Amino acid sequence: MAGISRRSLLQGMGAGIGALAAGPMIGSGPALAAREKELNILCWEGYNSAQVLDPFRSSTGATVKAESLTNDPTMINRLRAGEINTWDLINVNNPWARKVMLPEKLIRPLPKAEFEPFFAKMLPEFKWPYKWAMSEDGAELIGMVQRFGPYSFVVNTDKVSRKTAEDTGWDLFNDPALAGRYGILESDDWNVFNIFIIAGIDPFKVHTPDELAKFEETAKRVFKGAKLIGDIASMNQALISGEIDLHMTGGTYSVSPARADGHPNLRAITPLRGPLAGGKGGISWIEVTSTVNNPNLSPLAIDFLKYVQAPDVAHTVAFAEGTFNPVAQMGNPDCFKLFTKDELDAIQWESLGEEMARSVEYDIVPDYDKALDIMNAAKRLRG
Amino acid sequence: MADLTIVQHAEAPREERPARRLSAGALCALPVIGLLALGFAAPLVAILGYSVATPRSFDVFRSFTLENFAALFDPTNTVWLSFLWSCGFALLTVALLAVIAYPIAYGLNRVFGRASAFISVLFVFPLFVSENVRLYGWVLFYIKNGVLDGTLKWLGLNGGPEVLYTPGITLFGMLYTYLPFMLFPMTLGLALVPRDLVDAARDLGAGRLFIWREIELPLAMPGILIGMLLTFVLAIGATAEAKILGGQSIIVISHDIEIAFTYSQNWPAGSALAVLVTFFIGALTLFALSKLDLDRMLGRR
Repeated sequence: MAGISRRSLLQGMGAGIGALAAGPMIGSGPALAAREKELNILCWEGYNSAQVLDPFRSSTGATVKAESLTNDPTMINRLRAGEINTWDLINVNNPWARKVMLPEKLIRPLPKAEFEPFFAKMLPEFKWPYKWAMSEDGAELIGMVQRFGPYSFVVNTDKVSRKTAEDTGWDLFNDPALAGRYGILESDDWNVFNIFIIAGIDPFKVHTPDELAKFEETAKRVFKGAKLIGDIASMNQALISGEIDLHMTGGTYSVSPARADGHPNLRAITPLRGPLAGGKGGISWIEVTSTVNNPNLSPLAIDFLKYVQAPDVAHTVAFAEGTFNPVAQMGNPDCFKLFTKDELDAIQWESLGEEMARSVEYDIVPDYDKALDIMNAAKRLRG
Repeated sequence: MADLTIVQHAEAPREERPARRLSAGALCALPVIGLLALGFAAPLVAILGYSVATPRSFDVFRSFTLENFAALFDPTNTVWLSFLWSCGFALLTVALLAVIAYPIAYGLNRVFGRASAFISVLFVFPLFVSENVRLYGWVLFYIKNGVLDGTLKWLGLNGGPEVLYTPGITLFGMLYTYLPFMLFPMTLGLALVPRDLVDAARDLGAGRLFIWREIELPLAMPGILIGMLLTFVLAIGATAEAKILGGQSIIVISHDIEIAFTYSQNWPAGSALAVLVTFFIGALTLFALSKLDLDRMLGRR
């Protein structure tokens, strides 16, 4: 017993519990097992669809498991909590790979020579060396980009015109006349950004106590005035039925299924101006898919990243079940020609360029924890 | 078999007894024990471990602090609001369901006769459909221009009431979801009331209210209490009703736990909250069970 301390005992228990907690993934490969025929993907929905995965499964004969989640922090926490040995690929929004996962050694770099040529066929803004695909020092390629889009708010243009919405911007949510007429998408990291913007504050900086007080006042007011908070399906349903006229946090990602379903009056809006860097009024996201720093990484991870670059697969990813989004591979004419007019309308292709130009790219809020706690407390006061 | 093993061991000289050999019963129970350890105890131990880990970290079993619990009792923390909503709605659900389910349970026992089995199936059938799907169904029913509103307008009326996304509809959703969990224990409780006793009381001149108060209710009480307990435990952890039907017009405690594990990236805080709620429900359940005589309820004596 002499060699056992309370600390070592706790650590041993921790390891044991960790192993037990990983129970569902037992069989996905202990450290030394060969993993040539299996691949585990942690992703936003779409990459887990049968349309995307089945052809890869057939061509490789591999067992491909994909789990989709709808927020970045949860996915990254899964790796932090010990699932680094489980997953091969992780697909999250742009800043996480470069600013969080690589420094924390949760992901590993990709072979540059193999992947650089793919960037040449992407849309011009993604040309090599594309910022979010590279490490902070620019030396390493840390992920591949595919889906992207502007993400601010959505309106029913029968009730609020596109011109009014773009011109008034986030002040729509400061308008007492619209209280009870808007919803809030349950996407709390984005809601933190947006409450800051509605308060006239740039979210992507360290905030002063005065700014946080303004944030709190705005959060209480905006959440109190919301008719509902819910998921994408609830937001689209409420817009279509007329329960609400607009909802905060939304874009092509959330509204495209409703547009594709015959509701072109529902539209993602990127405000003309706002308190973001350069006076911009919108925020955009770009997904980056990286190889997890799994000590026993499946070789299929690299193959899969190459597989989704093919024009037909990229088109399938863009219109996989769930949400519809533009993809960087639309820069390749062979990929672009696969999109029908209706599909381009669904993702608001005609205004995509200008909306992306009016947006800053998704980033990390330095005092996110503090702001989120304030926002959650404000949410509790709804009742 | 177990008794026989014990006797054999008792007769054997101490030094010849096989070292720590498991009885057949214990051997048979091993898979269940293993399954429970893996699927039931391990997550609970992990949650307990996280609840005393450094806030916003993953230092489970490597750190010890009571900060997470202290934060929950911090006067500036409004999480008690969510707890109150959950407790209040769970209590209301129990009280209202007791009133709603009693006549149905009575009917299933005494009135519906041969139709009872079919009516029971009608109450069980929705349980085969996912709760979320059923709740989204109610959204389509109550939503503007939905089934109710659209039909009333089609009939030339003013349309349906605006009830969606309110605390009231959340309560409705909970009543709808948990009705079977109150109904069937209550039906079982009422089935244990001997008809002869009721008939004898009536023959002796007791009125309907007197019979109900002095005979039916006390004899059916174990079933009623089990139903209430089951409903309360399920209802206090309910999230989907407040989210889907209520549009988060109130934030319930299980939703707060979910937020801590997801957007907040604070598993220790979520775990501390989960531990607190689990202890509260556990203490309440043990207290209630200590007041119940399960053997009597199940008719074993």
